[in-house]
Amino acid sequence: MESLFELFFKYRPLIFEQGDFAFRAPWTGGLALAAAVAAGVVTWRSYAQVRGNSRPLDRVVLAAVRLTAFALLAFCLMRPVLVLSSVVPQQNFLGVLIDDSRSMRIADRDETPRLQFVQDQLATLEGDLRAALNERFALRFFSFSSETDRLDVVDELEFDGTRTHLGQALARAHDELSDVPLSGLVVVTDGADNAGGELEEALLPIQAAGVPIFSVGLGRESYERDIELGRVETPRRVLRGSSLVTDVVVTHRGYAGRPVTIQVEDEGRIVGSENVTLLRDGELQTVRLRFTAGEAGPRLFTFRVSPQQGEMVTQNNVRESLIAVDDRRDKVLYFEGEPRFEVKFLRRAVEDDENLQVAILQRTAENKFMRFNVDGPDDLAGGFPRTRAELFQYRGLILGSIEANHFTPDQLRMISDFVNHRGGGLLMLGSRRSFAEGGYAGTPVADVLPVVVGEQRGDGENAFFVEVAVETTRAGATHASTQIADTEELSAARWRELPPVTIVNPVTEVKPGATTLLTAADSDLVVLAFQRYGAGKSMAFPVQDSWTWQMHADIAVDDMTHETYWRRLLRWLIDGVPDQVVTELPQDRVQPGEPATILASVGDANFEELNNSLVMASVTHPNGEFTDLPMEWTAQRDGEYRAAFTPSTEGFYEVRVEALAGDELLGEDVTYLQVAPSDAEFHDSTLRSSLLQRLAEETGGRFYTAETASSLADEIQYVGGGVTVVEEHDLWDMPILLMLLATLVLGEWSFRRFRGLA
Amino acid sequence: MRSSGLARIALVTFVALVLSGALLAVRFAAIEPPPPPPVAPPDDGIMAEQRRGQQDFDPREMLRRRRRGTLQQPAGPHEFYFTRAIYSSGWGWSRWATDYPKADRQFMTVVNRLIDIDGSPYENAVRLDDPRIRDFPFLYALEVGDISLSQSEIEGLRNYLLAGGFLVIDDFWGSWEWAAFEQQIRQVFPEHPIVEVPIEHPVFNSVYRIDEIMQVPAIGNFWGGRTWERDGYEAHVRGIFDDKGRLMVLINWNTDLGDAWEWAERPEYPLRFSTFAVEMGINFIVYAMSH
Repeated sequence: MESLFELFFKYRPLIFEQGDFAFRAPWTGGLALAAAVAAGVVTWRSYAQVRGNSRPLDRVVLAAVRLTAFALLAFCLMRPVLVLSSVVPQQNFLGVLIDDSRSMRIADRDETPRLQFVQDQLATLEGDLRAALNERFALRFFSFSSETDRLDVVDELEFDGTRTHLGQALARAHDELSDVPLSGLVVVTDGADNAGGELEEALLPIQAAGVPIFSVGLGRESYERDIELGRVETPRRVLRGSSLVTDVVVTHRGYAGRPVTIQVEDEGRIVGSENVTLLRDGELQTVRLRFTAGEAGPRLFTFRVSPQQGEMVTQNNVRESLIAVDDRRDKVLYFEGEPRFEVKFLRRAVEDDENLQVAILQRTAENKFMRFNVDGPDDLAGGFPRTRAELFQYRGLILGSIEANHFTPDQLRMISDFVNHRGGGLLMLGSRRSFAEGGYAGTPVADVLPVVVGEQRGDGENAFFVEVAVETTRAGATHASTQIADTEELSAARWRELPPVTIVNPVTEVKPGATTLLTAADSDLVVLAFQRYGAGKSMAFPVQDSWTWQMHADIAVDDMTHETYWRRLLRWLIDGVPDQVVTELPQDRVQPGEPATILASVGDANFEELNNSLVMASVTHPNGEFTDLPMEWTAQRDGEYRAAFTPSTEGFYEVRVEALAGDELLGEDVTYLQVAPSDAEFHDSTLRSSLLQRLAEETGGRFYTAETASSLADEIQYVGGGVTVVEEHDLWDMPILLMLLATLVLGEWSFRRFRGLA
Repeated sequence: MRSSGLARIALVTFVALVLSGALLAVRFAAIEPPPPPPVAPPDDGIMAEQRRGQQDFDPREMLRRRRRGTLQQPAGPHEFYFTRAIYSSGWGWSRWATDYPKADRQFMTVVNRLIDIDGSPYENAVRLDDPRIRDFPFLYALEVGDISLSQSEIEGLRNYLLAGGFLVIDDFWGSWEWAAFEQQIRQVFPEHPIVEVPIEHPVFNSVYRIDEIMQVPAIGNFWGGRTWERDGYEAHVRGIFDDKGRLMVLINWNTDLGDAWEWAERPEYPLRFSTFAVEMGINFIVYAMSH
C-alpha cells in the first residue's frame, strides 16, 4: 500500500505526515502564475462568448476543465515543496532496547521463535535492519528483562529473563543517552510489561525530552491453541487445617468444549481438583477449587492444568501461590446468657480443632457464670470483658442468648468497635434473647449486624416460633463458611437433606451490602448472613438449635456435618483478623537481587496505631543466617513501619517482626517471602500491540511489526530527534500531478469529440 | 405337731400377705394424681395442646398410655425438657414411671426458679427406641434394677448417647439391682467401663458445689428410719465415658433423687435431702447442656 502511494506521490506517507507544505517559486514563477491567471480569464471570456451549437452546460464543463488544468499548471509553477527535518547521518545516537526475557523464545509464528527476528535483523552487522540503522545512527544496544544492561554484542543474548521490566528499561536507556543527541529509542519486544507500576512514570521524562519511541512488536496477538491459568486469588495467611475456596481464572483458545482437570498441589501432593468443560474461545472462566491447608509454615500451592495436544505455550498452564499457614490457636469468645444445648454441641464441634480456642462464658443465673476453655483462673472471672484491651484479645465474638440490657452502653459500643476498629468477627446466634427479642434494636451492636434488627414481634405466649428447613443461596452455595461437603453440589444437596431447625427470631431483611448465605426453604427468613463492617465482619445466624444437625435421628452418629459447619464458619469468621502487629509484604515473591519491602502495622492493646514503637524485622535466610532490620515509621500512615532488604539466594525467607512500646512487647508477627525466578513471563505472553502502539503514539514515534520493521531506519530519519537538517522535497514533479494534467487535457478533447464540438 | 406346724405356716403366710398388701397400698398411694401445675402454660399451639392434656388429666388414662409406652410431649419452643426414658422392665409393670409425673414437675418448677433456663415445666417421656428421643439431649431413667432392654432399645440408647445425648440414672439399690442393671447397660456399651465419678469432677460443681455424695432415701424408707434399701448402704455416683473422656451416662446408685424432688414440699421430708437432690439435679442439667 505504501509503495503504491509512493508511486503516485513520489514520497512515502511519512514524508507527508512529517513535512510542512510550502511554495518556493522564484519571481519568474510569479510571472508564470500571472500568465496562467490571464490565460484563465481569457479562457473564461472566450467560452462565455462562444455560441455555435454548444449548449450552456457544455460551455460550463469545458471552461471548468480548462480552468482546472490552468490551476494545476499554476500550482506546479509555484513550486510546492514539503519542508521537513532529517537527522544528520552518523551525528545522532539511537538506543536499541532488546527484550531478553523468556517469552522471546515462544515460537508462535510459523514455529519460529520471536527471538529469531533479533538474531536475523540485529545480532550481526549483516542484518538488514542493523545495517540500515548503522548507516544513519550511532547505535547503543540495551538488553532488558528484569534488569536492564548495556549490550556490546547482541549475539550474546540468552533470552532467559524472568520478567519484562519495560518501564525500567526505557528509563535506564534514556538516562544513559540523555547527554548525547538522541534520535529515539527503538524497543524490540513482545510488549508485556509484567513488572507493574513504573511504565507511566518512566515515560514522563522521555516525553518531556521529545524523544520518540519506535516499538517493534514481535509475536502474535493471540494464540491458535492455548490454555492459560490466569489470576489465582488465595489468602496470604490461613490457619492450619483451614478449608480454602479459591477462584482460578482459565482462558483458552482452540479448546472450546474440551473437558480438562485443574489440580492444586501442596508441594507436589494433590490436595484438590475440579473438572471443567472449557467455554468459548477467549472467554474468562472462573473455576472454584477447594482444598485444605494441612501443613503449617510457608506452603507453595501449585495450580495446574495438564498440557493439551497442540498447545503453543504450556508454561502458562501453571500458577503458584504462597500461603503462610499458621499453626496457632486463635481465640474466640462465646458469651451465652443461659444454659443451652448450643454450648455443648458447639464445644464438641470444635474441640478437635487444634487451631480454635472457643472460650465460653455462660451465665447460669443472675451474676453467676461458668467459664470453659479460658486461659487461667482469672480469665473472664469478672464476666464479660469491661475493657477494650480485654475484649480485643479475641479474634471472634459469639453472642448467644444474652439480652442487650446485660451490657453497659460502653460494652455495647465496645462490641461495635471490636468489629469496626479492631477488625474482629462477630456472630450473633438465634435465641429468645438475641436480635430484636434481645432488645438490640437501636444499639451499636445492631448497627454492626448484617441484618435489620426491628422491633420484637411478640413475646410470651405470642412469641415467634417456626421450624425451617435450610437451603443455600447462590452465594452460600460457594461460600467457604457453608461448605459442608467435598464439592459444591454435594454441599448444596447436604444442606437440603439436613433436618429442620427452629427459629424464634423473625429476621427477614439484610442490610444493603450484606450477603445472605442460607435461607429458610419455604419462607423469607434469613438463616445465615454476613457483611463486612469497618475493619471486620459480622454474621447473623438466627437459629437456636443447630445441635439438631448433630442429634437428630436422621443424622448418623458418625456424621461430621455439624462439626464441619461450625469449624468452617468460625474459621471464616476469624480469617484475616489482624493482630496488634501485622506484617505485610507488598510482593511476597521477588527474584534474587530484587529488593523486597517489609511493611508492618503496629497498634496497642486497644488497637490504636502507634508511631513511636521500636519495631524490628528479623529475616531468616534459607541458609539459616539472620538479618536484623530496624523498621522506620513511614509517616504516611499512622502505625505503619517500613524496611527493605535485597535477598540474594532462592528459597523461603522468614520475616519476623517484633514491636516494643517501652519494655512492653506489643506483639510479633511472622510472614514469608519467596525468592525465586518469576513465573510471569509466560502468562499474558501474547503480543501486546496496544501497549506498544500507545508508547509510540504518546512519544511521537511509530509502531512496527516484524513485517514492517524494514522501513524503520528510513522513518526514524525524519521522525527522530537529535542533530537534524532541513530538507525540502519538491512536489511539482509528483506523477500524480502529471497524470491529472494529462487526464484533464484528454478529458476536454474527449468531451468535445463526444459533443461534436471539435 | 404336724397340724400345729401347718397352722404356723398358714399363719405366717397370712401375716405375710397382709403385710404385703399394706406395703403395696402405701406404694400406690405414692403415685396419686399430682397437684395442678404451678405455672400457667403459654397459649401457643403446642402449649395449648399440652395444656389441654393437662386440663383433661385422667390418671387412669395416663396409666393406660404409660403401659403403651407412648406418652410423649412434642418438641416446642423450650430449650430444655426434663425427659424421662420409657424402657422395658422385667416385671411387667412400668417402673420407668415411678414418681411420674409429680417428681418431674416439681423438680422443673424449682429448676426454672433457681437458674436462668428456658425449661418446660412439664413432664416429657419418650421410649428409648423412639427416634424422637434424639430431640431431647437430656434423659432421666430410674428404677433400673429390673430393666430389660429390647434390641431396638439398646440400639436406640447407644445411638442417642453416641450422638451426644446424656443419661442420668437414679433410684436403684443394692448389689442385686446393680448386677441386673450392669448386665443390661453392658449390652449398650460393652466397650466402655463403668467407673466411679470423683467428687472433683465438674459435674459436681457446674452450678452448686457438691462436697460429698449424700444418700437420699425414698420417703417410705425415711419414715422407716433408714436411708438405705436392701444392701445399698452407701450412695455412689458412677459414670460411663466415651472415647474422648466425655461423660455420657451418670449413674446414681443407692440413692433416690427422684423421691426427694417428688416430696420436697412435704414438711416431714428433710430439707437437706431435697436440697441436695435439687442441687445435684441442676448440676446434672447444666453440665449436660454445656459439656
